[in-house]
Amino acid sequence: MQSAAQGAARTVSVNRVDGRLKVTGGARYSADHLAERAAHGYLLLSTVALGTIRSMDVAAAQRAPGVLAVFTPFHPLKLNGGGNPFSVGHSWLPLQDAEVRYHGQAIGLVVAETFEQARDAAALVSADYDVRPPAASLPDGIPRATDPGRVNGEPAVLNLLADGVGTIDEALASSEVTVSGTYSQPMKHHSAMEPHATVAVWQDDQLTLYNGTQSASLTLGTIAAALGVEPARVRVISPHVGGGFGNKIATWAHPLLAAAAARTLGRPVKVVLTREQTFTVTGNRSAVRQTVTLGARRDGTLVAVKHQAYSSQSTSGGIFETSPHTTSRYLYRAENIHLDQKIVTLDVPPPTWMRAPGQESGSFALETALDELAVELGMDPVALRLRNDATVYPGRNVPWSSKHLDECYRVGARRFGWDRRDPAPRSDVRGEWLVGTGTASAVYPAERFPASVKVRFQADGDVAVSSATADLGTGMWTVLAVLGSEALGLPVDRIRTDLGDSTLAANIGAFGSGATASTGPAVAVAAEAASTELIKLAVTHERSPLHGVPAADVRYDRGDLVAPGRRIGFAALLQAVDVAGVEATGSTAPGPEHGQHAFTSFGAHFCEVRVNRWTGEPRLARITTVIDGGAIVNAKTARSQIIGGVIFGIGQALLEGAQVEPATGRIANANLAEYLLPVNADVPPIDVHFLNHPDTLFNPLGARGIGEVGTVGVAAAIGNAIHHATGRRIRDLPITLDKLLD
Amino acid sequence: MRAFDFAVAETLGQALTRAGSGAGSAYLAGGTTLVDLMKLDVMTPRQVVDINRLPLRGVTTDRSGLHIGALERMSDVAVHPLVTARYPVIAQALSRSASPQLRNMASIGGNLLQRVRCGYFRDTSTPCNKREPGSGCPAIGGENRGHAILGTSDSCVATHPSDLAVALVALDASVRLVGRDGTRDVRLADFYRLPGDTPQLEHDLRPGELVTRVTVPELAWARRSAYLKIRDRQSYEFALASAAVALDLRDGVIRDVRLAVGGVGTRPWRLPEVEEALRGMSPRPDAVEAAAARAVADARPLAHNRFKVTLVRRTIVRALTNLAG
Ligand SMILES: Cc1cc2nc3c(=O)[nH]c(=O)nc-3n(C[C@H](O)[C@H](O)[C@H](O)COP(=O)(O)OP(=O)(O)OC[C@H]3O[C@@H](n4cnc5c(N)ncnc54)[C@H](O)[C@@H]3O)c2cc1C
Ligand code: SF4
Repeated sequence: MQSAAQGAARTVSVNRVDGRLKVTGGARYSADHLAERAAHGYLLLSTVALGTIRSMDVAAAQRAPGVLAVFTPFHPLKLNGGGNPFSVGHSWLPLQDAEVRYHGQAIGLVVAETFEQARDAAALVSADYDVRPPAASLPDGIPRATDPGRVNGEPAVLNLLADGVGTIDEALASSEVTVSGTYSQPMKHHSAMEPHATVAVWQDDQLTLYNGTQSASLTLGTIAAALGVEPARVRVISPHVGGGFGNKIATWAHPLLAAAAARTLGRPVKVVLTREQTFTVTGNRSAVRQTVTLGARRDGTLVAVKHQAYSSQSTSGGIFETSPHTTSRYLYRAENIHLDQKIVTLDVPPPTWMRAPGQESGSFALETALDELAVELGMDPVALRLRNDATVYPGRNVPWSSKHLDECYRVGARRFGWDRRDPAPRSDVRGEWLVGTGTASAVYPAERFPASVKVRFQADGDVAVSSATADLGTGMWTVLAVLGSEALGLPVDRIRTDLGDSTLAANIGAFGSGATASTGPAVAVAAEAASTELIKLAVTHERSPLHGVPAADVRYDRGDLVAPGRRIGFAALLQAVDVAGVEATGSTAPGPEHGQHAFTSFGAHFCEVRVNRWTGEPRLARITTVIDGGAIVNAKTARSQIIGGVIFGIGQALLEGAQVEPATGRIANANLAEYLLPVNADVPPIDVHFLNHPDTLFNPLGARGIGEVGTVGVAAAIGNAIHHATGRRIRDLPITLDKLLD
Repeated sequence: MRAFDFAVAETLGQALTRAGSGAGSAYLAGGTTLVDLMKLDVMTPRQVVDINRLPLRGVTTDRSGLHIGALERMSDVAVHPLVTARYPVIAQALSRSASPQLRNMASIGGNLLQRVRCGYFRDTSTPCNKREPGSGCPAIGGENRGHAILGTSDSCVATHPSDLAVALVALDASVRLVGRDGTRDVRLADFYRLPGDTPQLEHDLRPGELVTRVTVPELAWARRSAYLKIRDRQSYEFALASAAVALDLRDGVIRDVRLAVGGVGTRPWRLPEVEEALRGMSPRPDAVEAAAARAVADARPLAHNRFKVTLVRRTIVRALTNLAG
């Protein structure tokens, strides 16, 4: 492992401290926890979308080899409602009633000695339903769309109009140029590599839950409430998470049932969802249909932005895509902005947060519309965006703390070679390939939550830095080590990090791209507090070489305590006084700065695509992404984050989409053979560049967040490049070859 | 998965005896189709006979052509010098199939006998005429973007999934079948059945029979051959359309040609009428496209796969012009 040079500038580049564990199979994900005497649960799912279960025949399953129990709505596991609904992914608790709200809903749990026995017994259960026809199609549901009321703290229908302008349509009517387009995209799934899994172990009325989660604390609260036990009796452990993307924030049916079954059966129960089951037992991203109408002057100045969206919502609740309010709301300066978010409630599995919730779909519509406007105006798409760069948050008189979107474009254009572009569509033909380039903006708000970190000086010479946050592959293990190293002036390899355990220092977890921004500042505070404790021990303990020195005369310096004429390492001190460790917890939270500025990360994407002139398949040749995300804590894992975000966007642009059968509500491609994600061969060279301007108005670290911003705008950049290559504007995602065959 | 008896056969005779009449019995080669479908409860043999120890190996040539043992692994055949040099179309069809891990396990015989990828076939909570004769075909009115436009019936519209089979049908390959009643060689083109009213019957293998080898007749000009596979992503996906082409091109004129397409038919689809139209022609794109139009004269597209009518034509044009150029 590389270690950070002492006193180096903030952006170090170190390998993942958990990398070795991961590549050697030593990292234990939830399903890898082998509790003694564990039984295995297999979920039973509904095979209709809407109705009531009349009866279930479980006799054969109960007789099957190894079966311990079959739980159903007719023989349920008791769960308490009303506890912590925020963090259950749907509005109901499993098995507490016989209603079926969507195809693939959990309606039972078979528990057996082995996974295979549970699965095979599950195949023997049959259910008899009173079936009603489901509503499963977004387009069909649009006529009965409803107003969700408020979105992101603002009205779902929001007008920010110039003085004297009555309606957005008035502003559009008086614009010199207008463009309008309707953009659609299907429901999508997170498809994290690690499927959802839980191992529930009860011992002496204490529950330990190994459950891959983005938030051990939210899971803990939810499970405790649903099971009716004191939160102090529950511990949630999740040191490694194989991808979350927002789908491991809420608590789904499997940990609730595993924990309840383990209590009832008096032995540990493990439930691992099959890949197919993750599609319906956990969350998704809404299907979205949007219309964006832009009005501008001939010189490209935006006069009016009108952005309307219909997002699918589930009758079981959930977090729907908020496309206009997360993008057109503030990405560009325009005299008149009108947003309108509607929801279409369907008999489908609940949507939940999914990487850049709202921005992902919203940016596809807005950033494609801008490209259409550029074409209409005969203006360079980069110049058009620079012309409309917003310097204050529209409709609020607050500036951004640190905003460099213009620089993203300038730097990106140079790195990419944008100036070589002939703007005419279909102007670059190389053999059988039509070549085109496109660009789009990225935007994501910076979030910060209260967080605590514990720093402990150990007698063995290492320092432990720990917090109940999560690492979803995002790099948190390493970020804690890097920040601990900087705060303590020690090499990275002397920092022992720990996370993903609800018993560690309080932390809400990893979501909203806020984990580093929230946890990072607390590291320095905790380091400071722990050094103070160390000094206190040094001057008070009678066996300490510094005994009796006034505390004010001792300072901490890179692992040593320094007093006039004397210096002692903390390990030597702890050994001398025979104390195993000295620790302190530091906590930080966002302060009053949060009303005074807007905090947002930005970026610009550039990409080159090739479309086969015969068979129409779009292929990416290269991508350049420049990110304005504040200070970058560890360049290496940060780059991986952006690459991952961009690949997420490639999936959105070219491949991904659930095929929800309108008549049955069944997802026809609920598996990774047919729900297509990008494979390595689909991913071109990706050039990632960080501007690295610290945003110290946001937090002392100057770091915002980069987990999601990389995804935003990618689909538009790709679609815009496809338009440039072929002259065809595809407004319906994914852009598959059938849409490009002419 | 249902409980089943498991036996390992050491010899061909043992395998045939074990399988007996064949009813309820399945041979296990790489298991990448069989075990997958058993886990899904789609295939439910009472007995599984492992044939991996049988001596059905080897890639050899003699006067009658190239012989490939049924238990050769896809990954080995894909890089075998005899194959890459003489029949690039076979090597390419194999290396564009599935994933490296699957190709390391999967056998040539198993590949030719793999089952369809229709999502309804694989989901026992839905009807399917192939899985449960007479229960209906939800694909016809359901999700059918990947389904066939050629050779379909009102009972079944599933696409034949094998890439290798397309290349082999283009090359007039045959399979050797060994059963308790003897040995026979069958042209692969005749081996596969159309679904008609009996989509559960996919091929001409009799119960208990084994595929022991594949033979590809000598065809010197197959050195100029290629497999073009079109799909949404660039790897690890079945074909939306594919073309296996071998070209005898002399002085810019097509003297002879072999052409079969995949991803569009209920079996690997040889195109004699297009071959006929191409003979004597110089392979210019417009001329090839006109000839290729014959491929889809009888196409019956469904709600989501109409694009395949155009796509398969273009795939042929692209494959041929690239090979000629
Ligand atoms: C995710 C995935 C992607 C795939 N993608 C592709 C692709 O792109 N292109 C493609 O062509 N294929 C693809 N495949 C299919 C794969 O190539 C086949 O599963 C494989 O070739 C089957 O070979 P096997 O040896 O594993 O067969 P097995 O699973 O062992 O057997 C398959 C069937 O054939 C029978 N059988 C096997 N050998 C014999 C024999 N010698 N005599 C008589 N009966 C026999 C078995 O009883 C069984 O019914 C894919 C498969 C998967 C799982
Ligand atoms: S197309 Fe064939 S395999 Fe698919 S559902 Fe219909 S009958 Fe079954």
